Amino acid sequence: MSYIISGLNIQNISEYNFNNSYSKYDIVDFQLFTGASLSPAYTGNGQTGLTTWFNNDLLGYFKTDTKFDVTGWRNLVSGSGDLNQTGAFAATNPYVDFNENYINLFNDQTLSGTGFASDSRTLIFLIEAADLKKVDQSQKILQFGTDSTYGKFLLSGTNSYNQAKILLDNTEFNSVSSLYNDKNIFTLIQDNAAGTIKLRQNGIDLGTYSSFNANWKATNFILGNNNDSVDIKYYEIIHFTGVVADSQISGYEKYLYEKYFDNTRLYFAFNNVSAGIQYSPITYTGIGYWTQDIDDLFKMNYGCSANFTSNLSMLQMGDGYKTNVAQTVNTLNSKFNLNYDGLTDKEAKCLITYFENSPETKKKSLYEGYKGVEMNLFPPYKKNAELYFKSIDHSTIYNDINSIKIEAESLYDSSLDYKGMLVELDEINIKTYPSDNKFNSINYNDIFYYDSDSVKLRGYYFYTGSAYNIDENSTITTGPFVISPVNSPTGISSWFTKDFYFKGNIDYNINSSLRLLKGDFKNSTTEYDKDGINYNILEFNVDFKNRSNSETRAILKFLDDKAGYKVFKYTLPQPYNKEINVYCPEWNHTYNFNNNNDIGVKFIEFKNPFDTATKFNTKLYFTQ
Amino acid sequence: MANFLNYRNVAFKLEDKNYYATKVSLSAKANVDPVILNDGSLLNYAPQSSVVGSLSTDFYLTGALPDFLRITGFNESSITANFASVTISNVYPKSISFSVEPFQPILISAEFDWYGNVKVEDFTPNTNEDKNNIQIPSYFANGYRSSLTTSNLEGVDKILSFDYSASCERPSFFHINDIIPFRVAKLNRSLQLSLKSNDLGGILDIDGKNVNSTVSLRDTYGTVLDTFSISGILLSQNYEVSEGQYLLASADIEQTVTQNKTLV
Repeated sequence: MSYIISGLNIQNISEYNFNNSYSKYDIVDFQLFTGASLSPAYTGNGQTGLTTWFNNDLLGYFKTDTKFDVTGWRNLVSGSGDLNQTGAFAATNPYVDFNENYINLFNDQTLSGTGFASDSRTLIFLIEAADLKKVDQSQKILQFGTDSTYGKFLLSGTNSYNQAKILLDNTEFNSVSSLYNDKNIFTLIQDNAAGTIKLRQNGIDLGTYSSFNANWKATNFILGNNNDSVDIKYYEIIHFTGVVADSQISGYEKYLYEKYFDNTRLYFAFNNVSAGIQYSPITYTGIGYWTQDIDDLFKMNYGCSANFTSNLSMLQMGDGYKTNVAQTVNTLNSKFNLNYDGLTDKEAKCLITYFENSPETKKKSLYEGYKGVEMNLFPPYKKNAELYFKSIDHSTIYNDINSIKIEAESLYDSSLDYKGMLVELDEINIKTYPSDNKFNSINYNDIFYYDSDSVKLRGYYFYTGSAYNIDENSTITTGPFVISPVNSPTGISSWFTKDFYFKGNIDYNINSSLRLLKGDFKNSTTEYDKDGINYNILEFNVDFKNRSNSETRAILKFLDDKAGYKVFKYTLPQPYNKEINVYCPEWNHTYNFNNNNDIGVKFIEFKNPFDTATKFNTKLYFTQ
Repeated sequence: MANFLNYRNVAFKLEDKNYYATKVSLSAKANVDPVILNDGSLLNYAPQSSVVGSLSTDFYLTGALPDFLRITGFNESSITANFASVTISNVYPKSISFSVEPFQPILISAEFDWYGNVKVEDFTPNTNEDKNNIQIPSYFANGYRSSLTTSNLEGVDKILSFDYSASCERPSFFHINDIIPFRVAKLNRSLQLSLKSNDLGGILDIDGKNVNSTVSLRDTYGTVLDTFSISGILLSQNYEVSEGQYLLASADIEQTVTQNKTLV
């Protein structure tokens, strides 16, 4: 049992076995095969016939020039031939990427060598080929001999079932797994006595190439050497003289799988799965049954909530004046409570396991932590979120009825992105304002991004009709129609606003404290003095409860656009009725039910004059 | 909706099968709250949950009770009902009950929750063809031959009448943006039996008293249409006499229906 399984608090999870069938929400640890992996160097089972072994484990495994470009790849088997950049193949040198465990050959870049002659051989290698830019083209991965037709291993076709092809010379084999932009383990078992070459992809037999040409036995071995638009990553190549036993081949393939694939994340069945190796999780067929995507497995329920707090460094300037300095471009600390209710025991087991396994995602890079869970957030938040699952709250009210709440955090939402942080300009619910002012329909609270060369004019506008008190249910649906320029977002009689026009609920309270300086005279009395000229600075909460989805989107987009530190105007309710400048450093949102959302915001009064021209976002214009 | 729909012309079906109902009641309730803004104006009425419909019916039992009306069973699936030619999907049974008295026909009362939209404006009477196709049952459950057998309870042979009911709660769960639940679960499944007799033996103790009973509903020819079992506990006993009446004993038996978890 792997540490992945033993580290879980869940029982009855095992390695994937293609001889078994599985039911929906079953969980497996996929390690290619259930047996042991076998290092090429292992000789415990006797002489293996290993004659060639290339990998990228150490920098010393490469020959390099003074610029650290690669001039050769050293064979780890002593006395065997290396692959070099020589003669006609001395084109552009490939380079060593110190952070990666592969060597990349682009276009006509080539590594070649001699001393690889063998009548029968077993060749196991792991590569990742990029998508073909020219679909009628093929990529030559490797070649034995120097013939223009024979001895070649090529990839061709588009990346889908029955379209992606592997070619041994001119004989086609259907790829069973994603052929491009994914790692693949290929095995060639060349049996001279039988006159066949058997081809395997990721441990699955693809077929047999009969009556192979003599070039396959030749001494020359060549990697790369393609036309343009070809990009192949070579991770490891293992070559044995003679035909290796099937059980050993599986072991070597598993060795490569464990070494290079993302094998620490579990797979979850989102359909009932039949027995058969074609249903294994990394095949074209298997991806219709197995997933690592939580959105394939579960949908959230009402009751999801979000909390936002801005990361600010406040600079007090006296007299109640201050400025807020955002500590980072990720100005918001965004936490989500994801609610999954009404789960059966089996579904709950699946979700709890997903949660417990989530830190096993591969690292984002050598210098960063692990990758978060990519998933769709609940409306109106973005669909392509990356969340870090932090805690889980599992409760059960009755037999087979479970409720799970997952607390998750979003870390990489930039306030510099003009599309927004978590409520994004998606051109579906929030659209760019049409330059021709034409609409098919428009509703109260609709949100538009108005593009302009002027930083003061561009930004998000909210449709409120000719007057701000237009009936919320009003919809203009007689389109297509044209909004007059005077009624456009920047027109003099605009039907749009950039202001905070939302009204809180009838029940509210505002607490206020005077800013006072206190003087204590020993054995005497206390003296108070006002703290400068701005001693009435409000800090208060406003609730927007039971709001429709459209109003909620508008409020949250407004706050998202302000990113927790930008200042805007707010009119205090009765009896204050005064328009003041505020910023909103904290807010929360709960999606109670369809068209029923609660939003709570914290406003802090801001006394300084502010200038929107100081804003910066990624909508940049370059002119000559 | 057709005007003046008559009882005789309105058909009621569950899962496409006609039921001989003496009463059908269909209702819906929206759960909304007003949203009042801080300027005193009314913004709108916000839904707090989905519209939950209620459907209840009393019908004669003409055969075995269908499986979907086995309330304490573990099938949570929805059924379809058809009332006055309008189909109601997403119907969830939540209780049945019946009373057995000497020589009285037995009516099954059933209650359901339903979700979704019902086009009441499409209510229409049966066509003549439909009416002609309805088969009139020749037998239905009657108290005349129906019986109750009970272990560990004295005086059962002197029973005057009894009521049987099965019920559960049906909590509903919704995916975000949906107003039709993806699951309507069952919880707190229970069976109740109340009976009246001249004598019900000794008084119960603090732990109640275990009782196993089986109700057999028969037609007037003595054919068993269905049986209902309860293996519960005697919760209360009552002895009462009033002027001009005999001493009457009554008892309530209740069973909490559970299910052992299946290892996942």
